[in-house]
Amino acid sequence: MSTNPEPRSAEQILAEEFLLARSRVLDLAAFLDRLERAQGSTEHATQMQLLSQGLNILCDGEPEKARRVQLLMSREYDPAWRKNYGLH
Amino acid sequence: MDYIDPHIHMVSRTTDDYETLARMGCVAMSEPAFWAGFDRGSVDSFRDYFRQLTQFEPKRAAQFGIKHYTWLCINAKEAENVSLSREVIAMIPEFLTAPNVLGIGEIGLNKNTKNESTIFLEHVELAVKYQQQILIHTPHLEDKYQGTRMILDMLMHDTRVDRSRVLVDHVEEHTIEAVLENGFWAGMTLYPVTKCTPQRAADMIERYGPERLMANSAGDWGPSKPTAIPDLIMELKRRGHTREQIHRVVYENPRRFFAQSSNFRTHDLP
Repeated sequence: MSTNPEPRSAEQILAEEFLLARSRVLDLAAFLDRLERAQGSTEHATQMQLLSQGLNILCDGEPEKARRVQLLMSREYDPAWRKNYGLH
Repeated sequence: MDYIDPHIHMVSRTTDDYETLARMGCVAMSEPAFWAGFDRGSVDSFRDYFRQLTQFEPKRAAQFGIKHYTWLCINAKEAENVSLSREVIAMIPEFLTAPNVLGIGEIGLNKNTKNESTIFLEHVELAVKYQQQILIHTPHLEDKYQGTRMILDMLMHDTRVDRSRVLVDHVEEHTIEAVLENGFWAGMTLYPVTKCTPQRAADMIERYGPERLMANSAGDWGPSKPTAIPDLIMELKRRGHTREQIHRVVYENPRRFFAQSSNFRTHDLP
């Protein structure tokens, strides 16, 4: 049994999913506007730095965007963790 | 389309939800033991919870023609209490012969602490001793990558663990590859905000193929949608996947995985 259907072309995916992607860009834009209008400052907040770096990934022209955004938002793995915890 | 939800917490859902799931095509489900929203105070609280999972919920599901299976453990969040965890682990064998118990789960990590890791290893020891399958919870959000790697490290360090009898749940784009390439089963959890959308799950199915991959709703008392699997079915249909391709992920794969437990009754399914 084949794994996938006939692959959709890039043009087909864009036509089918443009409005969904557009709405998500607008949601993000409105979120940033909301922050700007609000009292206080989040400029140096860690979350804002992560969002900014995440947006850079979206525009960098490289593949694996979802995976790289996930790793950006993740704590690092230390292969020596068992030794650090005293577990054998 | 008939489907199986391999991870859903029906103790926190209404009887109306059972009826809706049956109407949507759900023919069987498995319910891992999890956190109740508060830390329980004694081993008897867990004993009563396990009675609910092994006696009450199967009857509630049966009213709508749904087969209900379950997994037993003390969850990672409460595993910080090591002494209580050990009392619960010692009590679990009382329930392993109940006819709807598939194994030990959902065990795993929450904040990736030493205590959680200690209790995880003791659950694995229990599963090995009683030849039980294992269902794994991987942590949320920023803790997921680190915790998943720690869990895989612990499982692969133990040569007694049969990886084909372990389901690692809540995989996402940054964890799915390590789970599948090391021979474990992987589950994608469809949640409205955290975890995975039907669209991203469909992407992972297209990218990694259907082998040892399944999807679940993990419906519980938090923001979640018990009918999320039909949403994934719709997304896959929209993309042109055939009925057979979809059926493999939402029915055949969980059936094959569950069938490794002696308590799973394949002949009861449609």
